[in-house]
Amino acid sequence: MLTLTKDRALALAMLVLAGILLVETGNIPPPTSWQPYGSALFPRILLVVIAVLATLLLIRSLLAGAPQRTTPRLAFGEWLALNRTVLALFALFGLYALLLPLIGYLAATLGFLVASLALLLGVDSRRKWTINLAVSFTLAPLVYAIFRFGLKVWLP
Amino acid sequence: MADFFLQALAQVSSPTVLLLIVIGVLFGIVGGSIPGFTVTMAILVVFPFTFAMDPVSGVSLMVGVFVGGYSGGIVSGVMLGIPGTPSSITTVYDGYPMAQQGQPGRALGIGVAASFLGTLISVAVLVFFGPLIASFSMNFRPWEITALIVFALTLVAGLSNGALLKGLLAAALGLLITTVGYDRNSNLRFDFGLPALGSGFEILPVMIGVFAFSQLMGNIEKLRDEKHSSKGVDTNVSIPYARILRDMAGQKLNTVRSSLIGSLVGALPGTGGTVANFVSYDQAKKFSRHPERFGTGTPDGIVASEASNSAVAGGAFVPTLALGIPGDLPMAIMMGVLILHGITPGPLMFEQNPVLVGAIYASLLIGAVIMVLCQLMLVRWFAKISLIPQQILVPVVLMLCAIGSYALNNNLFDIWVLFAFGILGYLLWKADVPLTPLILGVVLGNNLERQLFRALELDSSWLTFLTRPLSALFLALAVASLIFSLYQNRRIQRHQRQAQDLAKPSKEPPHAA
Repeated sequence: MLTLTKDRALALAMLVLAGILLVETGNIPPPTSWQPYGSALFPRILLVVIAVLATLLLIRSLLAGAPQRTTPRLAFGEWLALNRTVLALFALFGLYALLLPLIGYLAATLGFLVASLALLLGVDSRRKWTINLAVSFTLAPLVYAIFRFGLKVWLP
Repeated sequence: MADFFLQALAQVSSPTVLLLIVIGVLFGIVGGSIPGFTVTMAILVVFPFTFAMDPVSGVSLMVGVFVGGYSGGIVSGVMLGIPGTPSSITTVYDGYPMAQQGQPGRALGIGVAASFLGTLISVAVLVFFGPLIASFSMNFRPWEITALIVFALTLVAGLSNGALLKGLLAAALGLLITTVGYDRNSNLRFDFGLPALGSGFEILPVMIGVFAFSQLMGNIEKLRDEKHSSKGVDTNVSIPYARILRDMAGQKLNTVRSSLIGSLVGALPGTGGTVANFVSYDQAKKFSRHPERFGTGTPDGIVASEASNSAVAGGAFVPTLALGIPGDLPMAIMMGVLILHGITPGPLMFEQNPVLVGAIYASLLIGAVIMVLCQLMLVRWFAKISLIPQQILVPVVLMLCAIGSYALNNNLFDIWVLFAFGILGYLLWKADVPLTPLILGVVLGNNLERQLFRALELDSSWLTFLTRPLSALFLALAVASLIFSLYQNRRIQRHQRQAQDLAKPSKEPPHAA
């Protein structure tokens, strides 16, 4: 069975993307009588280039064979445990983007900073909590004040 | 030009702009001195604060960050033995050993002095060559500009970590991103049913998302993999001024050579501070009467490294201002700042906005003076700041990225664009795809399409690209750069295979022979 290496996964993802978007270019209006080239030409050129490059990458990775693993393959649970901090940080950022218009800049930013600092710094000592709260409660209002009063930019 | 320079100097010397340059330099030094933060990240974080400013103020602030950022890497390099930014890797070779020998102040002083001189020499290069190249490129028509952009993209893609195919894929993906939304004929392309995509993606959230997320999440992964401790680092540094002057007096040739290398490398698309750093360090070693001292704490190594990486700042402005082609990532973002302020970099900028060009020159000069003063006076503080842990830095920078993206148009959709491109950037980084070509593609995509179709509207034959001498030359250079990259890739792979073969255990027991 073929192993899905990084290069193969990338090449396949790019081929799928190029395929879908090439079909999508069919919805772009055709050129009018005074236009020698239509709006679809440039994206089509790029999509063909992407498809050719992805195919070359796929062929090269197949010819090279799968590299020998120096570390044992991780089960999904182990992989999840290893990458939990990065995944949690992405999730916190997504939640932040979601909450920003609902509860406003100050509450959402404080929530995001406190939660993500707790995630990265840890929550096992009073010192860490002091740093966490000091950073969050200083920076969130400070950034608000700079944008609102210094740069006259309204934050949500 | 002299008149415009004086006008620009008058504008840049106003208390507000001077204060902005000071803030920019300070932030740049702080950004450059924190390992894993990099000059590019410092520029990205400051970028949103220029939205509400006039062009001269905004550009001056960014130039300040630039000058400070390239010199800031020396602080953590000397104090912790970790380069604050990739462009100061070779500073560590001699700066850290010198600090370990009980002379951190001397190492920092030499580095700061070399940075200062490097910036000044690169400004001279910019002042001399910028207008020359701009006046030459005034003759460029759409065919030449199209071919030049293609050349720049292939060069950047080809030089990206020896991964030619992935670099080219990234560049094409970057160009593709610019095709979302309404085009020049008011036809809608790829909006995926989302009305917010009608106007396409804003460059800023795309750039921040792709670069910042991959960098910050990568830093988090590094923390998981390696435990680095900054405990026990003595930040109580003092600069021995008389000693520095004596050291620098013996480094005149090294300073000039390294600065010129830095300026030249900075002016080439696809290179930047890291390449300049290694090339000038190597040259300094070759020209030295005592090459064996390199790597043990010699001033020659610190001067070569710091003069060259600071000289990149001025050199990199040459193609950006004169041709509208940013050579590296920080310059791509700088170009974004100019575009945001309604200025299109390129040959016409010297005619249409001479005061702004003069303001960039003046800001570089003033920034260099402020940089040297700040570094010498506040070096102890910068040393302390360089110890800020990533665990605190990452959430704060992510928050600033979100607010910066929002503040561009007061549009919450841009935060989602940032998030989506953050995920894309992180995934591409995990797949070892170089991200600089993608960002350059995003910056240059609209111009490439516009110039390509202007050329085809003027003459529908594609062959014209090959019959016009300059455009043919640029295309030939693009092909040559691809062939060179292929050759380089093969060499790297051969070395890797040889290294793997050496590492493999022999099938026969060693005594069998």
